[in-house]
Amino acid sequence: MKLKPGSFLWYLYLDKLYCLLSLRNVKALVDYFHLLDVHRNNTLNDVLFYHFLHHVTNWNRRQIMSVFNMLDWDAVGEIGFDQFYMLVCILLAQQNHLEEQFVFRHSRPVFELLEKDGELRIGAENSHMYKFLFNIKEEEIREFYHDFDIIGDCRLNYKEFKLFTIFAMDKYLEKQKAEKKDKQNEVLLQNSKSHVV
Amino acid sequence: MEEKPFKALAKSSGHHDSVKPSSKSDIRNLWTMATLSQPKVNVQLTHVYEDSEQESSSVSSGTGHWYNQEKAGPDSDSDRVWEEWSDTDKKASIKQGELDDYTSLELKQRAGSSLRSDSEGVEDPKTKMVSSSISSPRILKHTPHRAYWVEQQNRLPLPLIELMESEALEILTKALQSYRSGIGKDHFLTKQLQRYIEGLKRRRNKRQHVSVH
Repeated sequence: MKLKPGSFLWYLYLDKLYCLLSLRNVKALVDYFHLLDVHRNNTLNDVLFYHFLHHVTNWNRRQIMSVFNMLDWDAVGEIGFDQFYMLVCILLAQQNHLEEQFVFRHSRPVFELLEKDGELRIGAENSHMYKFLFNIKEEEIREFYHDFDIIGDCRLNYKEFKLFTIFAMDKYLEKQKAEKKDKQNEVLLQNSKSHVV
Repeated sequence: MEEKPFKALAKSSGHHDSVKPSSKSDIRNLWTMATLSQPKVNVQLTHVYEDSEQESSSVSSGTGHWYNQEKAGPDSDSDRVWEEWSDTDKKASIKQGELDDYTSLELKQRAGSSLRSDSEGVEDPKTKMVSSSISSPRILKHTPHRAYWVEQQNRLPLPLIELMESEALEILTKALQSYRSGIGKDHFLTKQLQRYIEGLKRRRNKRQHVSVH
């Protein structure tokens, strides 16, 4: 997913540690939400929601409506600012490649978002949501169930999910370190070559 | 956003539709009156600080020095002075009334007269300060644009509001087409959306007209 360059959301940013918006950004977002709240219900209906996401992202209709159904956790056919804020944080986390950190920091709300029917379990049927919302790949999902399904029911409860987020975060940090080390080595190599010359 | 969803403000402060066009509260007046008077400030600046009654907002200190209006003493509502502001942790906000007093004071200076306004309760020392014509080139160089300062305290910057409104307009125009095809053009929701879009366009045009002139 890519946010449309120059759009309002494109200018917002998450705090890299806590993956939340600053107060100033939230204030701007509140005003933006109220601009879209045409019917003065403090909510966006499905049509407004669809056109908003269609304008700022490259998601197709099916993806947008599945996100709407996921966020409409009260099943009222509209989403309020709480859900809108969460959506914006998810979008910005994807845009800025902070998915692992976001899921780690906010594992409970993410789990509640992904689990259906109030069973407090995430099954394979939710896997498509992980992919396009949090950029989790197929092999990672398989690893996910293989390594963390401790009970063995092919579904993850919250504790198993939390373990997954911790391991994913560790893996992400190791990857970052390795990349940083590679860059440093490259720079050293280039410097040594230039000295030789 | 940990255990419970984030509980944001239920109501926005409504800045985009609650600014009343009175001379005291309308930021546009500051832009017209204060802007031109900035280079001609000849008032002595002393060190005073005052807390605002409005909701506190942190100053975005930026990289330069910021100045703040402060009261010289408890008796004078209209003792307005500027001080050098260090760009770190101080919080400051300015009462709208104070700014208007200062703005009117500047206008008097521009007219070239050192007036004493009984209605504002300006005291002799202040008049003396006004007429002393002491100006510091360093302070003048770093004096912030007052209207911009007020804007930063109370509302979103105008360029950001314009961006938001333009984008909202594009989104809502497409939504209107969906409404018309989905529920018909005579449905009350369609008409409500249409009226809203027209209102938004009018507000935007008005703002653009003001900024041009």
